[in-house]
Amino acid sequence: MFDRIQLQTIFGTIFILVITAVVIVYGLNERDRMEEYEQAQQGRAIEAGASLFEAQCSRCHGTQGTGIPGLCPPLNDRYFFDQRLKEVGWNGTLEDYIVSTATSGRLTSTRPDQYPGQGVPAMPSFSQQVGGPLRDDQIRNIAAFIMNWEETASVIQEVPTPEGPLAGTDVSKTLPEGDPQNGEVLAQSFACTTCHIDAPTGPYWLASDTEPAIGERSDTRYTESDYKGEASTAEEYLYESVVNPSIHLVSGFSDGLMPNNYGSTLTEQDMADIIAYLLTLK
Amino acid sequence: MFKSINIKDLRQRIWDSVDHRVRAITAGMGLNELRAVMRGDPPTEKPNPRYKVHTTSFLFHIRPRYYEAGSTILTNTFRLGFFAVFFLAVETITGLILMVYYVPSPEKAYTSILHLMSNVPFGQLVRDLHRLGAEGMVIFTFLHMLRTYLTGSYKKERSFTWLTGVILLGITLFLSFSGYLLPWDQLAYWAVTIGTSMAEAAPIFGNEVNLLLRGAPDIGSNGLLRFYLMHIVLLPFLIVLVLSIHYYKVSREHGISLPPRLEEGDIPPETKKAAKKRIDFLPDLLTGEVFWTSIGLFLMILSVTIFGYHAPLETIADPQVTPLDTKAPWYFWWLQGMLKLGDKSLMGIILPTVIVIVLIAVPYIDRNPHRTLTRRPFAVGIGLLSVFVLIALSYMGLPAYGIETDAATRIVQDLVPEEGTGPLRSVEFEQLQPGVYVVNETPARNLCPNLDYGCPELDTVFEQYTDRINIAAAEGKLDNVEAVMLIDDWQQDLKKVTYRIGWDDEEGERKTYEHAVFIHRNRGGE
Repeated sequence: MFDRIQLQTIFGTIFILVITAVVIVYGLNERDRMEEYEQAQQGRAIEAGASLFEAQCSRCHGTQGTGIPGLCPPLNDRYFFDQRLKEVGWNGTLEDYIVSTATSGRLTSTRPDQYPGQGVPAMPSFSQQVGGPLRDDQIRNIAAFIMNWEETASVIQEVPTPEGPLAGTDVSKTLPEGDPQNGEVLAQSFACTTCHIDAPTGPYWLASDTEPAIGERSDTRYTESDYKGEASTAEEYLYESVVNPSIHLVSGFSDGLMPNNYGSTLTEQDMADIIAYLLTLK
Repeated sequence: MFKSINIKDLRQRIWDSVDHRVRAITAGMGLNELRAVMRGDPPTEKPNPRYKVHTTSFLFHIRPRYYEAGSTILTNTFRLGFFAVFFLAVETITGLILMVYYVPSPEKAYTSILHLMSNVPFGQLVRDLHRLGAEGMVIFTFLHMLRTYLTGSYKKERSFTWLTGVILLGITLFLSFSGYLLPWDQLAYWAVTIGTSMAEAAPIFGNEVNLLLRGAPDIGSNGLLRFYLMHIVLLPFLIVLVLSIHYYKVSREHGISLPPRLEEGDIPPETKKAAKKRIDFLPDLLTGEVFWTSIGLFLMILSVTIFGYHAPLETIADPQVTPLDTKAPWYFWWLQGMLKLGDKSLMGIILPTVIVIVLIAVPYIDRNPHRTLTRRPFAVGIGLLSVFVLIALSYMGLPAYGIETDAATRIVQDLVPEEGTGPLRSVEFEQLQPGVYVVNETPARNLCPNLDYGCPELDTVFEQYTDRINIAAAEGKLDNVEAVMLIDDWQQDLKKVTYRIGWDDEEGERKTYEHAVFIHRNRGGE
């Protein structure tokens, strides 16, 4: 009935019409697809930011961004999201502020009394453009991760000013009787656990595959030949490690990671409680 | 005054003037002739105006006047060469559109692709088509060459056409390969790093070639710009040039070769006559081309819209993180396979060069005048053997072959690959219930009793993990193994999943492998 040319013409026309229809239907969904793609992209930026935050920022700002009192400010904090921009007089968005701060770091702290940081610079620069380890897209991912705390961030209580005699740095001092349960609470509220339990930033307190727990280690550490401190009992060793962390460094950890001002923020009673708690970890 | 106007005369004059214009535009075909072409009628004038077009029109001068009926049989060519050119056309058009949005710099390239995907209507469609077209072009160019080899069409006067064809295959591969780097994702970056490092293996000038390609010791902004310019200027220019020569030989000089069965042996004169019958370009061949084009477009559009073919896009290129399973583009797997067999210079440069020289020399090595398959068993045998070897080498080029990854890393990588989705990320977000799941302690069924419908998808992934650990332990790769999977609520819409595997190595030392990933609710699949 039809010759080959006619069949080709007919089917070719049908194919072209079908293509047009398919493309139109596809086009109707484009807006949703683009929207979804953008959300997925944001989700992946947060995922990537979470890994980078853990590797680069959590050491100081805490794995959950709750900060470390006397060292680094909290980021997962209502105040940070609601008030911080006003405090520093920043014109842009909070995300811009985070990117800017992470990029160039801080030479000196804006709140030296509360959060002096690591000294000078208070916070290192992170962008490769200014000698840091990260690319700009990575910094943006970190900012996306931090911004994801915005809706859930709660108010972080500052550590109350100590009442009673301060612990000081003289480790031979006799401390009052310690309460291990209160010690555990203090270890949480002073964010010791952030580095010593949650993330492997400082020596791990609990027993691991290779090492016993801190309560057991402190029994022997001060007797080791390369020990550089002044302690002569397990209690004194722990006391010294808290108030004067630089005097003896456990191999694998560098100086300056741990704040060295606990002698002036902990009371004697706090110190005794924390030591009692640590000695229960075996 | 009106008496002087003769209506009949006027009509004739109007007709003549329109006809004259049409002849000028169509380069020789008048209105009547155009009508006859559309209707499929024979030519209206002598000499045949449909042939005149081929000498006076620029666009048609390269097209054939006619092909012999026997050579246009579908099973003679399978339209493979046609489709290779069809894909080239698709690449050109979609490529021009992509160039509007693409920025060739390491800082902007990846972002510009994300922008194309999330902010440009039909952006993803165009990108998918460009990628699919590139795959198609490589496949069809290769198949076209294989067909030409098997029908012995490269013989005698067509040997120069074969040479240009070999060059075209090379250009096609490099076109595709140079486009590979442009999205600047991990896949691109490392595939091209591997590819260019092969150039380094070349004797004497290898280092210089590598430096010339990359623009610096490592691929950076210079390398990206060079690949971009190769991809959009140098190689397209070369392919148009060589393709013009290749096609001119076919269309205007030798025609498409007849099927061997219509050319060799005892053929009845009437069959021979029917095979030699001319099929004119206008209108028959042209109609056929439009028809095949519509089929090609139809299949391509369907593949990307309905069958879900998508151009891959991994995470942004990171020169400091080498992915666990790096591989070259699939059409270079055979080369990767060869590299595993021996010395880098020998396998990566010298042997491939020899292969190319042999390919070019095929018409001069093969002096057998026959074209029928059965009368050239040796050539056909070698051809099929080569295809088989190519497939085997390609398999050996896969990361799965010959590269031993330590068992714990392999298991975790298979569950949560660095790139792409993998089983764990496919689990519905709600089913990732926080908890500590210990292999061989936590019962593998019903991990989340507090969910109404449980978490069957998480159950499956944990079961997979358990099985893999137990198999590896039974094979003696993980002695005294302890393995856990931890899920934490990390942030709003964000969970952290940690895999930790501890085992004793051969010296009895305790080893631990830990890998954590974050999963966001909106991350989506691929």
